[in-house]
Amino acid sequence: MKNISDLKIDEEAIVAKMIAKEPVKGRLLSMGIVKGAKIKVVAHTLARQTWDILSDNTKVALREEEARCILVEETK
Amino acid sequence: MHPCGGDKMSGCCGNKTNCEKSTIKAEKGEIKVAIVGQPNVGKSSIINALSNAKLHVGNFSGVTVEKKEVYVKKNGYDVLMTDLPGIYAFNAYTPEEQVAKDFLIKEDCDVIVNVVDANTLSRNLIFTLQLLDMHKKMILVINMVDEIEKRDGKINKKRIEKLLGVPVILTSAKQNRGVDEIIDCIIDTYNAHIVKNKIYYNEKIEQRIEDLAKILQKSQHFRDKDYSRFIAIRLLDRDENIYKIIHDLPIFIEAHKALEKMYAKLEAEFDEDSTTDILANERVAIARNLQMEAIDVKEEEESLSEKIDNFLIHPILGLPIFLFFMWALFQLTFVLGNYPMNVISSIFSETSAFLADLLPKGVFNSVLTDGILPAVGAIVMFLPNILVLFLGLNLLEQTGYMSRAAYLMDGFMKRFGLQGKAFVPLVSGFGCTVPAYMAARTLKNPKDRIITMLVLGFMSCGARLPIYVLLVSAFFTNENPGNILFFIYIGGAILGLIVAKILRTVLFRGEPEPFVMEIPPYRFPSFKALGMDLWIKTKMFLKKAGSFIAIAAMIIWFLSAYPANDDMVQKYNAKIEQTSSVQQKEQLKNDLNSKLLENSYLGSVGKFIEPVFAPLGMDWRLSVAVVAGLSAKEVVVSTLGTLYSMGGVNETNKGLIEKIRANVDFKAAIALIIIIMIYSPCLAAMGTFYAEVPQWAWRVFYTIYPNVVAWLMAFGAYKTLALMGY
Repeated sequence: MKNISDLKIDEEAIVAKMIAKEPVKGRLLSMGIVKGAKIKVVAHTLARQTWDILSDNTKVALREEEARCILVEETK
Repeated sequence: MHPCGGDKMSGCCGNKTNCEKSTIKAEKGEIKVAIVGQPNVGKSSIINALSNAKLHVGNFSGVTVEKKEVYVKKNGYDVLMTDLPGIYAFNAYTPEEQVAKDFLIKEDCDVIVNVVDANTLSRNLIFTLQLLDMHKKMILVINMVDEIEKRDGKINKKRIEKLLGVPVILTSAKQNRGVDEIIDCIIDTYNAHIVKNKIYYNEKIEQRIEDLAKILQKSQHFRDKDYSRFIAIRLLDRDENIYKIIHDLPIFIEAHKALEKMYAKLEAEFDEDSTTDILANERVAIARNLQMEAIDVKEEEESLSEKIDNFLIHPILGLPIFLFFMWALFQLTFVLGNYPMNVISSIFSETSAFLADLLPKGVFNSVLTDGILPAVGAIVMFLPNILVLFLGLNLLEQTGYMSRAAYLMDGFMKRFGLQGKAFVPLVSGFGCTVPAYMAARTLKNPKDRIITMLVLGFMSCGARLPIYVLLVSAFFTNENPGNILFFIYIGGAILGLIVAKILRTVLFRGEPEPFVMEIPPYRFPSFKALGMDLWIKTKMFLKKAGSFIAIAAMIIWFLSAYPANDDMVQKYNAKIEQTSSVQQKEQLKNDLNSKLLENSYLGSVGKFIEPVFAPLGMDWRLSVAVVAGLSAKEVVVSTLGTLYSMGGVNETNKGLIEKIRANVDFKAAIALIIIIMIYSPCLAAMGTFYAEVPQWAWRVFYTIYPNVVAWLMAFGAYKTLALMGY
C-alpha cells in the first residue's frame, strides 16, 4: 500500500491506515489525521526529508519517517 | 438547560440585560476560569482584547512554562482567568501540554472557556469533546469568525449550542467582536445550576464506560458520577496520567482487570489496534458531523497563505530565503542594538564617575561605583540587543513563519540529532547567549531543548570577538585575520553540532524525536501583543538575569579588590609623587594595579588554579583572565590589559598586542582561543540557563562539561602544535 512519502506535490489521498506508534500517533490523531481523512501533499523539501501535508484545513509538517507511517489509498 | 445558550435563552450572553438579571439573584464572589484551546487559535489575542483586564505573568510552579493570569471585575464578581498553554489533546506530548492537562485535571476551576478556531473547527472540536467528558461548566468560544464571513460563510451558533449543550460565543479578536461577552457568559454559566454538556459515544463504548464507572464508584475517590465517568473515559483512552492516579488506590486491582478485558473486547469489536484509536475515530466522526451541521462555507481555492508558501517553502528557493531572513535578523540585532548599547554604557560609566566624586571616599563608594553600577550597566547594556532579537523572533513566530523555518531546516539539523526549530536559537547564540537560551523555549520537546541549550555555548557570542581580535592580531600577522576569525566562528558552530550528535547518541539514546508540527496559516501580527510580549520579556530578563549577574559581578569585584593592601598603595603613591615624568607615573600606576590584582583574592585564585592551566602553557595571568571571563567575556581583554600592566587598554591597543606576543607562547595562545571558544559562557548566560532548566542534574552537567571539553581540546591542540615544532 502507498504511504504519504510516495505521493507527489499537490496529490490527494485518503488515509487508509496509521502504523505510527505513540506518541506520534496521538499527535496525528489530535490534528485530525485519522483513518478516512482526506489529505493533500502541499510541499516537500528538496531531499524529500520533510513533508508538508494539508488535512482538514490544517497544514502539518512531518518527517519522512512519520510520512511513511501513514498509509493512504487513492481518492474515489 | 444551560444558561446562555440552548433554545429558549440562546443569545443571552450577547444580550446584556438578560445576563445582568441573572447575576443579581446569585451570590457574588470569585470565579476561577481556565482558558484552554489548541495552539494557534488566537487565545492570547482574545485575552489582549478583553477590556478592563489586569494581566499577571508568572510561571507555573516548578516548571518554566509561562503562566498568564487575567483578572476582570464585573457586576461584583472577581473573574480570575488562567490562560493555559496551547494543548492539542489530553494525550499530552510537550511539557506545556502536560502543564495545561495537569491544571485542568487537578485544579478546581469553576468554568472552562474553550477557544477554537472557526477555520479548523472540526479538528479543534476533537479536543472540545475530550473537555466535555469532564462534565464541567464550559463555554465554547469560536474565534476568527471574520475569516469565515470573508469567505461568505455562516456559522450556526444555535445549532452548535444545541448539539454540544454548552453556550457558544462567536468572536473575532482581531475586530474586537464578541470578546467582552465572554465575561458575561462566564458569570451566567457560573450561576447556572445544571450542567448539561454530555457527549454520548457509540453504544458499545458507552456500555463499557458505564461498567467501569460503576467499579470506580466503589472507591471513595470516585463517588461523584460525573467524575467517575470522566476517569472511566480517560482510562479507556489509555491515559497514562490517569492510570497512575488509580494505580495506588485499593480499587486498582478490580479496575485493572475489568479494563484489560474491555480493551481486548472493544479492540476486537471495532477491529482496531487500540481503544485510543476507537475513541479518536468516534470523536473525529462527531466533530465532522458538528462541523457539517454548523458551518456553511465553501472551500478555499488557493488562500493567500498558500500563495506566499509557494515562494517561502519552495523546495529550492525556500532555504536561501530563510537564510537571508536569519542573516537580516542577525544584522539588525547588532546594528540596531549597538546604538543604545553605547548610550547605556556611557550613562552608567558617567553616573558612576559622577557618584564616585560626589560620595565620600570609602568602601561604600567603591562597591557602588566600581562594583554594582558597572555590573548592572553590563546587564542593561544587553537589553537593546535582546529586545531587537526578540522582536524579530516574535514576528517570525506570530506571522507563522517560524514553523516554516523549522520545516526547511529540519533535514539538515536531523543529521546532528537536533530539530529544525533549534536553528533559530543556535543562530541567535552568535549574538548573545542569554536571549538564545530564552529562544530555545520555542522547542517544545524537552530533550531537543536540553541538547540545543547544552551546545549553544559553542556558538561564539559577540562578547568573545574582542578576545579573538586581540589574539589573532598578535599571532597571525601573515594570514588574513578576517579568515581566521571566520574559521573560529564556523569551527565553534561545527563543534557544537558534533557535540549535539554525541549527546544525542550517548545521553539521549533511543529513537530520534518525532517531528510532527502544525504549520499555521500566515497571520498579520498584532502590535499590541508584540508590545506586551516585549514588555514582559524585558521585565523577566531584568529580574532573572539581573539579580543573578548583579550579585555575581559584585563577588568578582570583591575578589579583585580585596584584601586591601594599604602599605603597597602608600609605597607606590610615594614613588608616583617622586617622579616627574608623566609616562613613568602611568607606568607606576599600572604596576600598582597589577601588584594589587596579583595579591587580591582573585590573584590568589589565579595562582591556585595555575597548575590546571600549566599543561596548556598558560601562566597565572592567562588563568585569571580565563576565570574572570566567566563573569563576562569582555572582562578577559580588560583583565589581560591590567595584568600585563597597561592602563585602559582595548583590543586595538598596539602596546598590549606587542606585550601579549612577547609574553605568550604561540601554542598557549591557540590553547587560549580554544578555551574561550568552548568553555562556560558568562554568568548572565549561566544564570539564564539555570533559570530555564530546573533539573539540578542538567545544571551540574552544564556547568562542568564545556570546561572539561575546552581543556581537553586545548591540551590536544597544544601538544599537537608542540609535536609540529612550534
